[in-house]
Amino acid sequence: MISITGILGITFGAALLTFLLHHLVPKLRNIVAILAIGATGYIAWQLPIDSYLLHFTVGSFDIVLGNSAYSQLFAILVAVLGLFALIYSHDFMAGKERLGYYYMNFLISLGGMYGIVYSQDLISLFFFWEIMTWSSFMLVIYCCKDAQKVGLKYFVFSAIGAYAILIALVLIYSSLGSVTFIKVFTGFSSMSFGVQLSSIILLLVGFGVKAAIMPLHVWAPAAYSRSPLAFTAVFSGALSKMGVFGIGIVLFKFTSESGYFSYVQTTLAWIGALTALLATLYAVFQTDARKLLAYSSVSQLGYIIVGLAVGTPMSITAALFLVILHGAFKAILFFATGAVYYRTGSTDMNEVTGLIRKMPFTFFSALLGIIAVSGVPPLGGFISKWLLYESLIENNNYFLIIVVFAASTAAFLYLYRFIFSFWLGQEEKEFVDVKEVPWTMKGPMVILALFTLVTGLYPGLLLAPISKAVAYLGVSGVSYETSVLFNSWGNKIDMNNVIAMITVVFVSAFIFLSIKNRKRTRYVTTKDIHTSGEIPKENENLTYKLDFYKPFERALGNLLKPSVDKIYNRIASNLEQAFDHLRYIYTGNGQTYAMYVVVFLVILILFSELIFGVKL
Amino acid sequence: MELNWIKIAGFILTPIIAFVVGVTYGGIVRNITARVQNRFGPPPWQNLFDIIKLYSKKTAINHGWMQHLGPAFAITASITSLFFIPILRDSEMFSLLSFNGDLIFLLYMMVFGALGMALGVGQTGNPNAAIGVSRGLSQMVGYEIPFVLALVAIMIQYQTTNLNDILSAQSQFTDWIIFQNPFAFIAGMLALLGMMGYAPFDVVFAPAELASGPPSEFGGKYLALMQTSGSIFAFAKLTLFADLFLGGAENFGILVIKTFAIYMFPVFVGVVNPRFRTEQSIQFFWKWPTAFGILAIIMVAW
Amino acid sequence: MITPNIDEKDKRRIRDIVQDFARKHSLWVLAYGTGCGAIEIPPTMTSRYDAERFGIRGAATPRQADVLLITGYLSTKTLKRVIRTYEQMQDPKYVIGFGSCTINGGMYWDSYNTINALDRYLPVDVYINGCMPRPEAVIQGFIKLQNLIAEGKGNGADKYKENLEWYRENQKKIIHNWEMPDYNW
Repeated sequence: MISITGILGITFGAALLTFLLHHLVPKLRNIVAILAIGATGYIAWQLPIDSYLLHFTVGSFDIVLGNSAYSQLFAILVAVLGLFALIYSHDFMAGKERLGYYYMNFLISLGGMYGIVYSQDLISLFFFWEIMTWSSFMLVIYCCKDAQKVGLKYFVFSAIGAYAILIALVLIYSSLGSVTFIKVFTGFSSMSFGVQLSSIILLLVGFGVKAAIMPLHVWAPAAYSRSPLAFTAVFSGALSKMGVFGIGIVLFKFTSESGYFSYVQTTLAWIGALTALLATLYAVFQTDARKLLAYSSVSQLGYIIVGLAVGTPMSITAALFLVILHGAFKAILFFATGAVYYRTGSTDMNEVTGLIRKMPFTFFSALLGIIAVSGVPPLGGFISKWLLYESLIENNNYFLIIVVFAASTAAFLYLYRFIFSFWLGQEEKEFVDVKEVPWTMKGPMVILALFTLVTGLYPGLLLAPISKAVAYLGVSGVSYETSVLFNSWGNKIDMNNVIAMITVVFVSAFIFLSIKNRKRTRYVTTKDIHTSGEIPKENENLTYKLDFYKPFERALGNLLKPSVDKIYNRIASNLEQAFDHLRYIYTGNGQTYAMYVVVFLVILILFSELIFGVKL
Repeated sequence: MELNWIKIAGFILTPIIAFVVGVTYGGIVRNITARVQNRFGPPPWQNLFDIIKLYSKKTAINHGWMQHLGPAFAITASITSLFFIPILRDSEMFSLLSFNGDLIFLLYMMVFGALGMALGVGQTGNPNAAIGVSRGLSQMVGYEIPFVLALVAIMIQYQTTNLNDILSAQSQFTDWIIFQNPFAFIAGMLALLGMMGYAPFDVVFAPAELASGPPSEFGGKYLALMQTSGSIFAFAKLTLFADLFLGGAENFGILVIKTFAIYMFPVFVGVVNPRFRTEQSIQFFWKWPTAFGILAIIMVAW
Repeated sequence: MITPNIDEKDKRRIRDIVQDFARKHSLWVLAYGTGCGAIEIPPTMTSRYDAERFGIRGAATPRQADVLLITGYLSTKTLKRVIRTYEQMQDPKYVIGFGSCTINGGMYWDSYNTINALDRYLPVDVYINGCMPRPEAVIQGFIKLQNLIAEGKGNGADKYKENLEWYRENQKKIIHNWEMPDYNW
């Protein structure tokens, strides 16, 4: 059972089984799904590395599926996130309709992702890529009728990307005669320059659509905010990383001696940095929490692309570290938003305020998630940011680091808005009987929050598998110990000392604050604030909500006016108008079509000598 | 694990020295402000009296446990940043943990306190406080850009991210970075204007405009801890700048002279200037200070 | 329960001496002008009469303030807000009655709208008489408050807590739309 067929078989089999069970025995449906993903996660962990475990031939194409350290990293990410999302869905989706459809598509998309990471040739990559896209499209349109437009946008962009991959596949096949990874990696430099460049660009476009690089990201905010929040954690945590997986392979295994490769890398790095900055700036001004988190995902993916494109060992390590960490903390934030939605029915940040006393566990996990995204020590997000900045400085990418750092500083704005709007601020009378969410929803959040804490304290635990993955990509690793990180100039940072200092000082300050005047410290409600002697009434909510960052918006001026979305919409409407002219021929009227057939036969008979060479 | 008594003495003495020096600087600044306004002003140890009075308040009010923890976050960040800066060069007692951390860590640690305090402030439910925090965070995006540009220029020029290496590269008077890379110095000092929070960038804590902004619901022991952490943090920032640009100090006398000299720049600019609006201050930082920072990097790269 | 009485007859400990020394040298006045007497505060605080020499500074919110200056007459509408502000301040807190109107009603002694004796509604530590008192008189009032604190007699807040029912009775008699929360110390 420890084999790739095992993983794929269990996942797809469980998908069918849950769909049937939903109609026969609904109670078992969730348990089957969770057990299946748990089993595949275990198998993915135990699978031996560097082995080709499936190899057969279909027609004249070789289908190869195998494991490597790089694949194992992504497979475990998919397994863990999928498991937690399924546990979360147990309560989050309880009572909703068409649950068999939901679980079936969920499991099929997970199966597609497993297939992508384990594929060792381009045809199976394309096959599983399409399965993943199709099943996630089904989940995007799950909720309601007006999600269909959003799903259509997602599907069109994914189709563009998939066809780009297909064209690249055809180009490579026609040059090399085979599309297995072994042949492509070794034979890539022997292809002509034009084929090399175009296949790389097409593959980058194809993978870039999923990884939401600007300007191909326009599907992301709408799609992430419309899909059910339990799935969005997997959507942004694992599915977008499939694009990263592909980009990693393209950049580092398709080796070539020509000098153009560094230009590709520089362009990609700058695109990634600008994605990070612009998506952060868009996120600052959102009022819906899901759209804010969607833009945040796009910007974090920008960081990952920068790390990959720069290409030094430390930057690739930083990118892969951020891949894992981003899955964790984005899942926490989406789960927290889902918890708020589950209890209050709304994710609008202008409506829901002051839930900290009602949902402390959710607040604690969201707090750790926020701190991890912003990169503040001592959590794991700091490690990835540290590695990224050190690698950019060593590599003399001066201006890239400024753009990335500006994005990182502006990230504090939307992160603070997110946690302030939902949990801090004044308490609203409408939400006075909101309770904490059940343990199946709290558990994944708290566990992932503790995970970010542990990776901050012991980054070496996560750096060990990442170094093996980086070695697979052909670059040597970075030196580290369990709690100490080094850069190539010999400077280090010792997380033991950091955590020790922070803990000692924080605990002593906390003890001091709690003990001094212990009996004479009063708790007052948030209605007892300095409002110049007035007393806020019960129905007045004085939380600062609207236009939270108006000064920042004024400072930016016209920077955010141009929008890629408008360009795409304009192209689409122009195409629609152009194709409308075809209505003259393609009228939809049956009698016109009959006339066309008759005219065609007449032409055939009249000119039969010219066409067929015989006289009728 | 054997305890290194010299190092432990350093750990205990440094926050105390930082507190005393920071509080005295605060008092001296009030005195200077008063003299500029043609009056006498309070004695230089006035800030110490303020803090002792706040500690001796008999009751305290909080709006929840997050506000209770806010000042604890602030002082954690101040003291931890202090520990990772070499206070005196070539001194075993006062170099503390500076070999185990570097400038990028310091950049993020300085934000940790502001973030913790912002969370504590958020729970008070006072809209003035939330407005103050949003202005403070937006302003931070402004002044961090030239600061990082200056730091990156220095890091590339000396091929290190550790402060001790930067200190040992400034062994002679003519090796000071203020002469070796003057554009970085100018960009850094202009960013210091934003970091210290004096006019014209003091819209965050404006008393008359925002009911003092973030600390509006803090009183008693909470406000005392926040002012303590503010004094320690001011000393940490000034020592960082002295180490980066003026070559550090071998003993406390020279350190006091150098930090006081750096401190006079924001104070004198603050004493005679009115207040900028938030968007004006953000745009100010993105114009000339950023231009100087880019010049600093270009000068190094060539 | 809280019993922060300091019995004046007992010997004062070193800690109280140090604390009272700090409290007397750092008085933060709430920036709140309740009546027309507030016109004398800006000259006191600024360059010519310079109250900052004594450590007196303006504070923005009642959470940060020590001293509440009732400057001049108090209409009943303002009295409700002043009581709320006074209760939001933290111990130890002092009230200075500024001007003749706080002592006996002053110029408005027969008005339907103002109160005549501030001491019935809030515990006053120091009165400064005059209509209005000049800045030198204001500073002399503050110095008297400082001497009171140094002797350990600045405990108006304790007096308020002990006699809360009496104060409340007086306040509710004159403020008719009493919709304030009840504090329990």
